[in-house]
Amino acid sequence: MNIGLPHAGIVLLVGPSNSGKSTLMNKLINEGTILPSEVIGSDQFRILVSDKEFIDWSNRPQDEAAGLIDEYAAISEEAFSMMDALIEARCRLNKVSIVDATHLHSDARKRYVALAEKNHVPIISLVFDIPEAELLRRDEQRDFPRGKRRIKQQAQVFNREKRWIKKEGFASVYSIKDTATLEFFRRENPLEKEIGPGIDLIGDIHGCFEELLELLHKLDYRKNEDGLFVHPQGRKFVSVGDIMSRGPASLETMRFFQRHINQELAYMVDSNHGWKIARWLDGRNVVLSHGDEKVEAEFLSFENEAGSEPALQLKGELKEILLQAPSHLVFTANGVPVLVCAHAGIKDEFIGKQSAAVRDFCRYGDTGGFDLQGKPVRKDWTASHTSRTLIVWGHDPKPRPLLVNNTINIDQGAVFGGQLTAYRFPERDFVAVAAKENYAGTAENPLQEWKKNRLNPPNIAKFLNGYSVLTEELGEVKVQQENVKPAIDNVSHFTVPIEQLLYIPPTMSPTPKPSSLDGYLEHPKEAIDYYRSNGIDTLIAEKKHMGSRAVLLLFENPEAALKHTGIDTIGIIHTRTGKRFFDTEVEQQVVRQLISELQEKDYFRKHDTEFVLLDAEIMPWNLKAKQLISAQYAHVAENAILDRSAIKNKLAQAANEDIQPWLSEYEQKLENAQTFRDVFQKYCWEVDSLESIQIAPFHVLAHSKETFFDKPHTWHMEMNREFAEQSELFVATEFKLITDEASEDEMIAWWNEMTEDGHEGIVIKPNSYLARKAGKLLQPAIKVRGRKYLSIIYGMDYLEPENLARLKSRNTGKKQKMALKEFALGLEGITRFLNGESIERVHECVLATLALESDPVDPRL
Amino acid sequence: MQLTIQASGKNVKAISYLLAKNPNNLYERKQKGHLVRFFYSKCTDTELDATIFVTPDPLELLQNKSNSYDITHYINDREFAVSSIFTSLIRSALGTALNGLPKEEYAEWVDHRFPFRFEIGPVASALSDQQLKDLFEPMGYEVAISRPEIDYSFHLKDRSSARTLSLSGMQTLQNGLRHLFVLIPVIDNYKHYFIDEKEIEKLERYGEGWLDSHPLRDFIYRQALRFKELYSLVEPAEASSTEAQPVKKVRLNDLRYEKIVELLEGLKPKSVVDFGSGEGKLTAKLGFINGIQEILAVEPSESAALKALERFNKLREKEQFVMPETVWGSLFYFDERLKGKDAIILCEVIEHIDEQRLPKALDTILHDYRPGALVVSTPNREYNEMYDMEDQFRHADHRFEWTRAEFAAWCGERNHQNLYDLEFHGIGEEQALHGHPTQLCIFKRKGALA
Repeated sequence: MNIGLPHAGIVLLVGPSNSGKSTLMNKLINEGTILPSEVIGSDQFRILVSDKEFIDWSNRPQDEAAGLIDEYAAISEEAFSMMDALIEARCRLNKVSIVDATHLHSDARKRYVALAEKNHVPIISLVFDIPEAELLRRDEQRDFPRGKRRIKQQAQVFNREKRWIKKEGFASVYSIKDTATLEFFRRENPLEKEIGPGIDLIGDIHGCFEELLELLHKLDYRKNEDGLFVHPQGRKFVSVGDIMSRGPASLETMRFFQRHINQELAYMVDSNHGWKIARWLDGRNVVLSHGDEKVEAEFLSFENEAGSEPALQLKGELKEILLQAPSHLVFTANGVPVLVCAHAGIKDEFIGKQSAAVRDFCRYGDTGGFDLQGKPVRKDWTASHTSRTLIVWGHDPKPRPLLVNNTINIDQGAVFGGQLTAYRFPERDFVAVAAKENYAGTAENPLQEWKKNRLNPPNIAKFLNGYSVLTEELGEVKVQQENVKPAIDNVSHFTVPIEQLLYIPPTMSPTPKPSSLDGYLEHPKEAIDYYRSNGIDTLIAEKKHMGSRAVLLLFENPEAALKHTGIDTIGIIHTRTGKRFFDTEVEQQVVRQLISELQEKDYFRKHDTEFVLLDAEIMPWNLKAKQLISAQYAHVAENAILDRSAIKNKLAQAANEDIQPWLSEYEQKLENAQTFRDVFQKYCWEVDSLESIQIAPFHVLAHSKETFFDKPHTWHMEMNREFAEQSELFVATEFKLITDEASEDEMIAWWNEMTEDGHEGIVIKPNSYLARKAGKLLQPAIKVRGRKYLSIIYGMDYLEPENLARLKSRNTGKKQKMALKEFALGLEGITRFLNGESIERVHECVLATLALESDPVDPRL
Repeated sequence: MQLTIQASGKNVKAISYLLAKNPNNLYERKQKGHLVRFFYSKCTDTELDATIFVTPDPLELLQNKSNSYDITHYINDREFAVSSIFTSLIRSALGTALNGLPKEEYAEWVDHRFPFRFEIGPVASALSDQQLKDLFEPMGYEVAISRPEIDYSFHLKDRSSARTLSLSGMQTLQNGLRHLFVLIPVIDNYKHYFIDEKEIEKLERYGEGWLDSHPLRDFIYRQALRFKELYSLVEPAEASSTEAQPVKKVRLNDLRYEKIVELLEGLKPKSVVDFGSGEGKLTAKLGFINGIQEILAVEPSESAALKALERFNKLREKEQFVMPETVWGSLFYFDERLKGKDAIILCEVIEHIDEQRLPKALDTILHDYRPGALVVSTPNREYNEMYDMEDQFRHADHRFEWTRAEFAAWCGERNHQNLYDLEFHGIGEEQALHGHPTQLCIFKRKGALA
């Protein structure tokens, strides 16, 4: 007899003592068919918990026997609970556990059937059916015979029970009469497939057969002489299910997959429509709706054309292929799982497992009740995905492939007039073809629904207790509850509307180390060192404008604004805390001016975009900060100069010769105060008209169809120049590229010159927008501020040696971490917006940055 | 921060003995990391000119302050302006003179009045020149105030906010210094002023003989003991009479609450949401409505919500009071917890929100939360005429105020699915032409409630 051991789960041995269970296991271990750790026996656990394998009470007085029976029962109970825990752990890990005990009673067996079911693994049983005489004979030969009475009793129970075992829920039951003739083999996990030269996962096809062929063609599959689509490199295509229903050519699509699956050129997983059609084909009584009725219609016309015999034949074949579709597939690279494909989603603990619960989940996803219209509420299973295996799924149409938490939805609603998407793996890119029409033609269109709901207010419950944002660039960014609260308060009272608040500029760290030079707190050298030591060769130094940071969202026309943000406006300008930058009237003037300039340059048409999102500095400083400058900087300067000049004058009048050091001290201090007074005026000028305002955009963050995080800063500077040309408001930013020592020196000289003149300083960045070392994200930019400028940050006397020495012990660690997080969040939010994701998903990033900003850090950094 | 003591005439040299400072030496002591320095520019038989000043350690001043995450903490006038920091740092250097305890042989000069000129500065004060004068003139000083010239490259301010105060008058040195030690902290307008109970004792000691008869005595006490709790120790009788609101306003608030409570009583709701509940004044009143079972006070501002909670806790034990639950929420987010309540109230909330943001927020309320009724109250702009207001709003944070017609039209638009019947009310004294000061609309969902 050939016995197939499952890839995982439980092999339950059933048979009285002496039926040869342990003997067979030892033999299999010795042969290497199974591992010693796969065999789990109750005897072994009795020894582990109590040092005793067996207690013999047969020849003891009644009261002693009673005591021993109790002891044995207690030992057994502990042993079994330990054993169950071990078996369950092995089930969770998808391991095989061969349970070696008598399992004579139905209750004992059903416990394991339930345990296997609970852990979504198969269970089989090997039933050792040995005649009673043989059992007795073997018992006599044992070191510790169980005794005739007990063996007879066991044999009796066994014989009574054995015919029921088949109905107890085992995947298979092998009845063993003779252990000598047994052949064992081990099954593979049917859900696991090696990825080979690569796979192309295809979203919900729903009978869009023409689009499927077009997509396969685009993916380089070619039709061979047998009419099969094969890939020159041997790649395979994988359907995420729902290949039929709703659309025009379900039958053809199903036949196509049937042929390719049979030739092992393609895979397909189970799905809600697939399962429905499979049962219909199987003759079950199901109600065909939601486009399934179209499949029936196609079969009818097939039958009319080809006759009932071929129709019946086809039905049978297609039924087979659909019923055999696995709940999900686990693709492995060199045996290691790297990608899971499931129609409607999967829980982490279901991966690689099979059970009715797993199949249900994979077909329908995480359904939680019904909404007011009686439609099932789809819960967000992706949130609980924590393993690093990528999950590719379909089922729930989204306008664009949706990457959330290491899951990718590739159902772009082809049948609803969207597109049919393929995800290429391991290349990790998308190939898509647009649907030729909206085939479904139903009133309810999930793509329209998505668009309609995109701008719905974010669900506060997602943020209330703190939350995490999964960013593409930095992984998970956590936001603490105590920081979320003030951020939500801020959004509720002060910011521009959530739909217009797409990006909050990240904070920027100064040089990680203070300057090694005397008399300098910051110097470009340390910024260059940071990037050089991280392997970045080409750097860019941009002059840092001293004004107020601003984000500009400018639309080609109000229709575009309405489409993208639901708000009828042509543009918005907000500060780095999300507040409106200008009052409404001035904002509209500025925005109108900017847009008319852009239109004159034919910007929107030339770049094929409906909006542009800019990260910029707006000058002069007093435009936004007049109150602060007056109450803080000017006030302090006036007090300092008054104080110091008065003291200096008094000291100068004194006849005492010892007073000279005090006098020199105050002469210096007065000079410091005057520098302080002069420096802040550098960043201010009279604003009497629109033309006095300067806007320096240094990042083009996005157009309506693309982001520019893949472009080097030289490109952004080039765009900056394009904006500034013949502009009343936009100004260009000076910059220098640093590639070698000479350009380094040149940049440092430039920095020295401008900062001695009072300019704020420079920002040094890797020329590429995103820079990494060994996978770790580097600071996207480092600011290097000038000596004079820093006096309005660190105080007018900060350069006095004893002050500077103390200030140099500053720590930028937290600031750097914040800068990275906010940078990653900024990119993530914009990317999500561009992908047409819900404003809730965009706001998640924006709110996180606002929350991080409410986490205190030394504001002088 | 500096104090110059000048005097001329006979015997002025005695002042140096009262100060216990040798005219030939420079005085320098470290006080809490800061340098306190004293020197004479002049000390002759007929002329005395001495200056005491502090050279602070700017970094030392920054230590252990609660607001160290605010950039204004690092750039401020504390290093320069005369303030309580100054008086506490120079106190021991001037101890002999302040206490009037020179060496025996000079004791006779303690009560001698000299023609003093005290100069202090810089003064950073919110008080006007006249107010400053009013503080010092009652003690017989002639007060001169000067400001430095300013010349900024752009229009920033009309005049300097730094001043020098010069006080001339016949005073004993001790009294002169005591005046300064009491009044310097009073004129300084720094918000992070440290006060402990010793301050009261100091005030009484230094104020002996002049403060009680000072016409601005109460003001001086209030300013000097800026924390209310401390002030109430001195003046329990009139502790809370500081900010009396205009009577009209208070009455209108009450009328508004009364009206809303009355309307709700008619609706007999079991569950009510007070949206934008602020400090919970209205919410607390809702707690006494008959038959009410659940009250949610929704507010995004944590400080306001805490005050509301305090208010509710005080009422907790009252009979028939239903304890409201404070909910951290906002009009701009969707909140499952607010669905399907009998009534939602927006009392004087909408005018604090940019008009553009409102339709969506109201859509969420009316069409997602679907309360049995929504009550919205807001000022009636027409009535502003009665307050002799011109173009300004009733509150600095109001983003708009509407006429009755504007409000009615707006409410109509909000009901675009026609799920509700609208009912308008006025609150406050009605005026024939301009209507009521407050207008209110109640959206009653068709088929809901009684």
